[in-house]
Amino acid sequence: MNKRNFPSPLLKNDGWKSALPALISICAGLFTGCMIILAVAVSDSEISIKSGFEAVKLILFGTFAKGRDASGDLVFSLSESNAGNLLFRATPVIMTGLSVAFAFKSGLFNIGAAGQYLLGTSATLITALSLPVSIPRWLVWLLAFVAGMTAGALWGVIPGILKAYLNINEVLSCIMTNWIAANIVTWIFEDSPLRNAGQSGKIGYIKPTSMAGVSTAKLGLDRIFPDSQVNGGILVAILFAVAVYILLSKTVPGFEIRICGSNRDAARYAGISEKRLTVFSMAFSGALAAGGAALYYLSGETEFFWSTYQSLPKEGFNGIPVALLASNNPIAVIFTGCFMSSLSVAGQQIKNLTSYNEFITDIVIAVIVYLSAFSFFISRLIASKNRKEVR
Amino acid sequence: MSEYVIEMLGITKVFPGIIANDNITLQLKKGEIHALLGENGAGKSTLMSILFGLYKPEKGEIRKNGDAVSIKNPNAATYHGIGMVHQHFKLVDVFTVLENIILGSETTKYGFLSKNDARKKVLALSEKYGLSVDPDIKVENLTVGMQQRVEILKMLYRENDILIFDEPTAVLTPKEIEELLKTMKSFREEGKSILFITHKLDEIFAVADRVTVLRKGKCVGTVNTKDTDKNTLSQMMVGRPVELKVKKDKAKPRETILQVENINVPSRLHKGKLAVKNASFTVHSGEILCIAGIDGNGQSELVGGITGLDRITGGKVTALGQDITHLPIRNRNSDFLSHIPEDRHKHGLVLDFPLMYNFVLQRYFESDFQHLGFIKTDAIKSYSEGLIDAFDVRSAEGTGTITRSMSGGNQQKAVIAREFDRGKPLIIAVQPTRGLDVGAIEYIHSQLVRKRDEGHGVLLVSLELDEVMNLSDRILVIHEGEIVGEFSPENTSAREIGLYMAGTKGGADCE
Repeated sequence: MNKRNFPSPLLKNDGWKSALPALISICAGLFTGCMIILAVAVSDSEISIKSGFEAVKLILFGTFAKGRDASGDLVFSLSESNAGNLLFRATPVIMTGLSVAFAFKSGLFNIGAAGQYLLGTSATLITALSLPVSIPRWLVWLLAFVAGMTAGALWGVIPGILKAYLNINEVLSCIMTNWIAANIVTWIFEDSPLRNAGQSGKIGYIKPTSMAGVSTAKLGLDRIFPDSQVNGGILVAILFAVAVYILLSKTVPGFEIRICGSNRDAARYAGISEKRLTVFSMAFSGALAAGGAALYYLSGETEFFWSTYQSLPKEGFNGIPVALLASNNPIAVIFTGCFMSSLSVAGQQIKNLTSYNEFITDIVIAVIVYLSAFSFFISRLIASKNRKEVR
Repeated sequence: MSEYVIEMLGITKVFPGIIANDNITLQLKKGEIHALLGENGAGKSTLMSILFGLYKPEKGEIRKNGDAVSIKNPNAATYHGIGMVHQHFKLVDVFTVLENIILGSETTKYGFLSKNDARKKVLALSEKYGLSVDPDIKVENLTVGMQQRVEILKMLYRENDILIFDEPTAVLTPKEIEELLKTMKSFREEGKSILFITHKLDEIFAVADRVTVLRKGKCVGTVNTKDTDKNTLSQMMVGRPVELKVKKDKAKPRETILQVENINVPSRLHKGKLAVKNASFTVHSGEILCIAGIDGNGQSELVGGITGLDRITGGKVTALGQDITHLPIRNRNSDFLSHIPEDRHKHGLVLDFPLMYNFVLQRYFESDFQHLGFIKTDAIKSYSEGLIDAFDVRSAEGTGTITRSMSGGNQQKAVIAREFDRGKPLIIAVQPTRGLDVGAIEYIHSQLVRKRDEGHGVLLVSLELDEVMNLSDRILVIHEGEIVGEFSPENTSAREIGLYMAGTKGGADCE
């Protein structure tokens, strides 16, 4: 599928062709998710049928939910704060989605975005929180962002080198480096002075960067989306999406990457150093994933739970369905990233406004994500059907 | 009862933008070998796919023994006794011969696989038809010729009596071809009916009783082989008179372009073994040097050593006076080498790219096609339009056609257009006419001769003795990685070359 989506002015219908399977699978996912919600409502005496229908509404329109009115009914309206939060949560997922999509384009499956994300988080936080106060804060922000991306790039290089020079499957090495990253990060912060010492009863968190005066500029977005966490990070993510799109479809290195991703032997035949390109692709992919982490934690408000050795950040893995849904088109990743975060906003709303607990919500979200990723198969079906007809 | 065992009457199959089969009628008599002849894209494969139940025709009907039948899928084809040996074998590499043969029609006892009866049946069949093959060897360890035997045994095991052979000789050595044709004849004596798809006129005259010729989706006619000749048939197929023999003057070799000295190249298949041992030769400008040999005797690795796709572990390669033994592929491509690769799908083309990008596969970074790192799509487009015109590359949507959707012949033409237009001093052509029809072969041969006359050095690797004898100015025979003899086509015969290829003559002591 990643091969079919070839951005070219000559293939005018390609955008629609690759959007169709994504839409089909999103609908299938939402439908199944809603069915599960209703099934739970029917079978669980704690949850009323009415509550079930409310949850369905929230899944579909959660972004617009404003809470309950005096009579206890759900109120929906255009909610700037929800929309802003949606964009804020979309930021890291768009970046990890770009990371996975970029790797797919070069013929690699970067399942290591979670590890790259974690190391990016640590490098960003350490830089932002430990640089001397004398340095201008905007410069610290920039340095922290660059430090995060560099850390992610270096972490991506490891599976890249293993793949290019020892022919070790990148999926295996990515999974292993994920857990290595999880343990390294825990070890780094175990006795770190950067830990937030029990402020407001929370333990196990690193100080938010705002404590060092570092946080992403709002760039006026707080006026469009009042009472939300949104900041300039989403604009940075969109910029990256556009940049990756241009890199892949318009430039010489992008051309080489696509040749490599589509036919490695032909790349060699054409004189492309496909090994170096593999390492570069993994590095760039890692940098993108880590960039998502940097944007998320540089917002200033978000707190990082440092004891990561037992769990990997879900943003890393959510990049995979985001990329698949977008057929690896970097521009489409912006929208599928927003879809993914709208699901998590909806999940939050269901948890807050209905009697469903967070576990059921998580299951429903997981089902939707899972079925959405089927766009891969649906587009394959369509592609093979087309191919038969063309022959 | 009808005289015909299978009849395809008035078959029409339309694909978007093209009529693949236009009112085609094909009638197969019981106990005959019926050849189906046509250029690439003439509609042979479509017709056979319809007979095998892979496509549904828009119009027309299929009759078996005079009764109309509907063949909706390959299982129905098997039910009607139709079996097919595909051009690209449908075998599971890691399964044994026996497992492959019974796959899809397994015999079971209480739900468990029981192979004993099947083994007996397979052994009996292979003895009866002289198709000896070890049933317990894994298919991946078999030669191509042996794999084809497995495919044939598969049909026999299913007791098919209508056998379709889709270009079965394309992958075989001359000796294997001889054996296959013999086997086909013995099937005919059994009363089986055979549909034989081929490009090779010699084979048609060797075995076929009748020939049906297709051209551009239409049926040109059905003739008895004994009432026709090669020229008539090729004219029917191409639609114009075809030169079967390449016209060329005597070569005028000039300076050395490529010098290969005692090179060793490791095998791609077997780790730690040498595929090319101590090979030495030179290619001059203005000559066609041909490497003849049976497939798998080190030709691929030899070419790989020169093009840079394979690592050379000993010896030296010099091109235009420069030592290129360890030069990166990019520099070889840019400095001196045009390379028509053995496998156009693997190396030659990025199949999922639009055609136009494949024309600049080794040139996209040149200033003609990029500016400050940005690809100049318009320049690439107009450049490829020029090549499409000049080399008559046919495709559905011109420069934007996804390369995978093109016919094999046109894909090969695209590769040849690209490599000839790059026009480097050394042209390496590895089986440049594999799987192509007479018209395309004629074209490619004449182009190679033209390039020779323009002063390029041509290194041709071919498995086909006809091509070797026809085209080359000098012939080297390679056997098990060693150059075992050098000949001039005037002073040798196909027979002699064949003996050297098979290793029965020549060898290290003869050098």
